[in-house]
Amino acid sequence: MRPHRPLESAESSPSVSTIPDEKTHTIMSPLTAFAVSPEGIKFETQEKDEEVILFLRQHPIVLIPSVFLVLLLIAAPILIIPLFFGSLILPFEIPARYFGIGVAFWYVMTFGVALTSFLRWFFNIYIVTQRRIIDIDFLHLLYKEFSEARIDKVQDLSFKSGGIFAAFFDYGDVVVQTAGDTPNIDFTTVPKPARVVETISELITNKQ
Amino acid sequence: MDVTTVTFIIVKWLVVFGLSMYCLFAVVIIRQEQLMTIVLEEAFEPVLRLAAIIHLVASIVIFFAAILLL
Repeated sequence: MRPHRPLESAESSPSVSTIPDEKTHTIMSPLTAFAVSPEGIKFETQEKDEEVILFLRQHPIVLIPSVFLVLLLIAAPILIIPLFFGSLILPFEIPARYFGIGVAFWYVMTFGVALTSFLRWFFNIYIVTQRRIIDIDFLHLLYKEFSEARIDKVQDLSFKSGGIFAAFFDYGDVVVQTAGDTPNIDFTTVPKPARVVETISELITNKQ
Repeated sequence: MDVTTVTFIIVKWLVVFGLSMYCLFAVVIIRQEQLMTIVLEEAFEPVLRLAAIIHLVASIVIFFAAILLL
């Protein structure tokens, strides 16, 4: 397959272009959070000749609190059962099968917590095509928010990145301000925010 | 029947009710995953679907285990 060239005109002025070195498609992995012209990605309202130029998720570092929570939940039965039930004085004995069902349910619930956390991260996506900027959020179970802005409606682009972790892992927030009634689009905690802004800027210049 | 036996019967059916609610939640996760994959098609999607199905099956197994064992 011929490599996708997001900004053909940018090749004539290499000093301006920010993406001439990544003409090949990014091969997606489950933890991909920044992809240039990704392979095998299709979204709901994608038009026939519309190509995904940038595909973004939040930086995987946002999953760390969920990972710690899951580790805590995994360790909890080992710590809680001997401590809590060992000190509890009851007039009757709790049968072992109750503990068995309880611990089994606890681990299924832990798996459920891990799965829903990952799903929420995995499907919270930002897409930049040659025509549109799209933000798809799954805020809660079964609640979806889809917002988009046409590239030619973008008025201002900015990004902010602060803190030790943000500097070390190179992530930040990108704000896309649009003209008229179109709501602004915020890319929160995305990797390489400067690259994102530069790429969108190039697309705007290209469009003009 | 003594008080302890009655207590355990009540506890059993409360646990079964709680587990049935959790099974419904597991079904909702599967539906959510289906809706999400309509929005975004990705190669990793079958793995997520499998994980959601395993979660539902495990919930149902524990539900029936609670009815039989408790």
